[in-house]
Amino acid sequence: MNSLLALLIIPVIGSAAAAILQRYRIVERLITFLTFSLTFLFLFGIKTGNLFTWHLDFLGKNLEMGLQITPLSIFMLYMTIAFGIVLTFYNLSEKSKMKGFLLLLTLAASNWIFMSADLISFFFAWELMGWSSILMIFGGRREAESRQGALYYAMMSIGGSYSMLIGIFLLSNLTGTFSIQSNVSYLVSILSVHPWWVLGILSLFFAAFMIKSGIFPFHTWVPYTYGEAPDGFVPYLSSVMSKYGVYGFLIFLPLTLGAHVPTVLGLAWPNYVLLWFGSITAVVGSVLAFMQDDVKKLFAYSSFSNLGFILAAIAIFTPIGLTAGLFHAFNHLLFNGAIFITVIAVISKVGTTRMSEMGGLWQKMPLTFLTFFVGIAAAAGIPPFAGFGSKWMIFQAMISHGLIFATILLFFSSIASFLYLMRAFHAIFLGQLSHRYDNVKEVSAIGKITESFLLGALIFFGILPGFILDPINSIVSSFGLKPLPTSGYEYINGFFSSINMVSIFIVVIIAFIFGFTLFAVVAKHKKVPQEDNYTAGQIPQDWNLTPEMYQFSYDFYEPMDKELAPFLKVKIDGFFKGFGESVEYIGGAVKEIFTGNVQIYTYLAIGGLVIFIIAGWVVW
Amino acid sequence: MSEWTEIVDYFRGRSMWMLHYCTGCGAIELPPTMTSRWDMERFGITPMATPRQADILLITGYLAIKTLKRVIYTYEQMQAPKWVLGFGSCTINGGIYWDSYNVIERLDKYIPVDIYIAGCMPRPEAILDAFVKLKEMVQKGEAKGYEKYVKNYDWYKANQDRVLKRTSPVLKEIEKVTKIG
Amino acid sequence: MVIEFLIKLAQGLGIGALALATGLLFGGIGRKIIARIQRRYGPPFTQNYIDLFKLFSKGSVSHGWAFDLGLVAGFAPMLAALMFLPIGPFTLLPSDSSLIMIVYLMMMAYLGMAMGVLASGNPNSAIGMSRALMLMAGYEVPFAAVIFSVYLFSKTGYLTQIVAQQAGGFMNWNIVKMPLGFLAIEIALQGMLGEKPFDQAIAPAEIASGPMVELGGKYLGFGMIQHSVGLFLETGIVVDLFLGGAPNFWIFIAKQFVLYFIVILVDAILPRLRIHESTSFFWKLPLFLGILQAVIVIIQGGVLNV
Repeated sequence: MNSLLALLIIPVIGSAAAAILQRYRIVERLITFLTFSLTFLFLFGIKTGNLFTWHLDFLGKNLEMGLQITPLSIFMLYMTIAFGIVLTFYNLSEKSKMKGFLLLLTLAASNWIFMSADLISFFFAWELMGWSSILMIFGGRREAESRQGALYYAMMSIGGSYSMLIGIFLLSNLTGTFSIQSNVSYLVSILSVHPWWVLGILSLFFAAFMIKSGIFPFHTWVPYTYGEAPDGFVPYLSSVMSKYGVYGFLIFLPLTLGAHVPTVLGLAWPNYVLLWFGSITAVVGSVLAFMQDDVKKLFAYSSFSNLGFILAAIAIFTPIGLTAGLFHAFNHLLFNGAIFITVIAVISKVGTTRMSEMGGLWQKMPLTFLTFFVGIAAAAGIPPFAGFGSKWMIFQAMISHGLIFATILLFFSSIASFLYLMRAFHAIFLGQLSHRYDNVKEVSAIGKITESFLLGALIFFGILPGFILDPINSIVSSFGLKPLPTSGYEYINGFFSSINMVSIFIVVIIAFIFGFTLFAVVAKHKKVPQEDNYTAGQIPQDWNLTPEMYQFSYDFYEPMDKELAPFLKVKIDGFFKGFGESVEYIGGAVKEIFTGNVQIYTYLAIGGLVIFIIAGWVVW
Repeated sequence: MSEWTEIVDYFRGRSMWMLHYCTGCGAIELPPTMTSRWDMERFGITPMATPRQADILLITGYLAIKTLKRVIYTYEQMQAPKWVLGFGSCTINGGIYWDSYNVIERLDKYIPVDIYIAGCMPRPEAILDAFVKLKEMVQKGEAKGYEKYVKNYDWYKANQDRVLKRTSPVLKEIEKVTKIG
Repeated sequence: MVIEFLIKLAQGLGIGALALATGLLFGGIGRKIIARIQRRYGPPFTQNYIDLFKLFSKGSVSHGWAFDLGLVAGFAPMLAALMFLPIGPFTLLPSDSSLIMIVYLMMMAYLGMAMGVLASGNPNSAIGMSRALMLMAGYEVPFAAVIFSVYLFSKTGYLTQIVAQQAGGFMNWNIVKMPLGFLAIEIALQGMLGEKPFDQAIAPAEIASGPMVELGGKYLGFGMIQHSVGLFLETGIVVDLFLGGAPNFWIFIAKQFVLYFIVILVDAILPRLRIHESTSFFWKLPLFLGILQAVIVIIQGGVLNV
């Protein structure tokens, strides 16, 4: 069987099997996991340049449709399917209402997106992905809210799809073909004559991608949807599905607009605008994240904030920018996956998503705690974990262009991410352990394996980034750019310095060994329970002081609210809500016309016909 | 080994961090002791915020039974080596509260006191004198109140329980008062 | 190979000890200076050594392994970061002396420290930590602006090369070429070192010394080491970035001391700000100076042509 087709067909078969057997949860989960693994096996059979085409006769037109493999699609396929395996393996022991067959449909759609060579397949795959994931959102922890979240997601997705559909028809009308490659090269060819046309068409596509990745100003659906989606699905949603937008951007970004439109600091202004959208997304996400109390929402904000970093990097579209963006896409998948998997592990144990009701869980779930710790260290960009290299490269890409304001915004976002990660870390795992959670246990063996694997991966790809940078370099050269120099698996190369991660890792390890030795040889310590704590001399029992009362985690950054208040008044969310309401109003007004009186219908029909004729006469 | 202990004791005497437990009287004598006029920092003595960090527990003035409870709790939260300074006549014999029904008379029946500073109020000079004296005692290895407390814990505990049973929690119906929401 | 490694190890530990000794000495001299400004006699300048010795010989309480791990993790990355700092003419690992590496390793130390003190479960430490992080959101932004302008100006990220470019006299130092940047980083340094008016995180009379509330004995000792090594690192970075490094170790610490002296003088005369005031302060004047410096560097032709 053709490997390319197998990547589409196997998930669909698996999905059918899972749908039939969905009554038996463990069987369904097992099928999901095995299908992911099998798909991954077929991935080894595909190479760059593999092609598969067929012809579709549609209304007398002979459309050429196809699948093709570029270095970028291989990278994306490996990344997403490998993460899917980890997640579905974890889900074997997870109890939320996640539907395996929908996840497999999403996988099929995802593979199709990454392989499609023409816009028709791309659009179909995009829609399949959208709808299967929308259905998945139903069945979250809270029923009414999850329906709301799915609806919000659906509305935004539809908006994106319409925009993309219009873009596709405009393009194919101009070129007469649906092939992505010839369309892109057509856009390049008319760039010097009609740059505005090209920009118009591009912005139609980019709107769809921005919505899918949750880029400002289309970020508003992300917290609602991630916050209410079933626990087992959130990691996939935030780690994998947000990357479709990145893939989409990378189809159209190689246009090199610079020669035909005005430039800002050496960047074509559309790229510059995109970069600003990315930077603003990064800041908005981080700032809103540290005011959240719902842990899933917090990491939803964190997720699109990181997408902002990626967009800002790829918008520059220099070798280092592209490398940094793709590298960060991978790292984000990894650390966000680790964070979300540990978070849903905690949620499944404590039964709430409110962080102010958690606390002190490190005593009960040590491995989960460590994985989460390394996850947030990576997310904060701390060496030697995965996440440092990509963030550093993003900064280098930006500074080398002299984009000082955007760089400082991104750096601020990076610092703010430190704030909200620490807040989540504290509120979930540190501080006082409530007596409600005295019986909480560490995750099951399956969970432990998953967490250890993620922990290992975060360290492994942190100290040997070359394993990711090598494929990225081939992607960079496939876009016609000169890849960054490589000098071994342990190096991160940039303009300003090349960093040997292994040597840093060794130095840190030796420093830790020395630290522990010092810790062991000096005076002994005494272990005390958490009740034995400084209370300014008050005896806790006398005042009925419970651990929950002695845990400070609600409104952790309250003083900051005052400083950020002017910025928080702007409510993008409110705009979309208002838009929805006015649509409802117009819909209601239109409904008034249909009174049931046949005469009015006739008038309407005649009026419509007249307009139609006049329009046709003017156009042709 | 004894040389090592001597060295350790020498440095301990040169760096004593103080937690002052001020019960309402005598606190006013401390600011001049800390600041420009008398400057206790020149002996390496610095005020600290919590019992975990402190070496000296300085207790000023009278101790009502409810206060004693907190002093004992604080003392037990401190880590060895630790020393107690009783400040003012009230810690020695109850002072003007000698016949009060709810004030203890002698502090060292309840926790071991290393040095008493007599007077009502003792002047900053007296406090500094006590610090210097304590420093010498620590350096000679004589100030071993904390070891006495461990050794004679039963005796101290019995004394403490005798008076503390007269106290009850400050709040009668704690669940009702401290209920959230 | 093994011999070489052992030599490096011994040198590394030596650097650590030297940095610790210098940091503690600075702290001691700082206490003396503040005492003299307040017309006190003040403690002997060796007081910090005595304090550290005492802390390591004193008993302490632990709240569990996360508490222990956090305190060690608050100190180890600081020590690791020292290995990449050019101290005078000497750098232990010159090929990795990337500035951003040092900055992020220091952040790892703060993360570890935060984990330790928060694991103690005391709300005072949580309040202190929240303040420390909010302050960090303030001072890191102008600091980053300055670092980026130095990057653009020097066109390299290696501290060793940044130092080498400033060789040949006072007029080649970056402080002459980028005075606004130096001003911004000096103000940021005040916040980094947590000295007044930016000492909200450890306000002793207000939140019982904040993060350190449950630390005693060796744990407080580790905290003190972290602070001293951090002092050495942060002033050392500024010396390497702006004051042209140094031909030998003594001049290096003399330059560091000049920076610390300014910090101490400001510390001695100013009261404590409220936390949101200080955060927004860093977003105003120092950030403005930093950005202005970056813009000047870019106009002078700092953009890399890639």
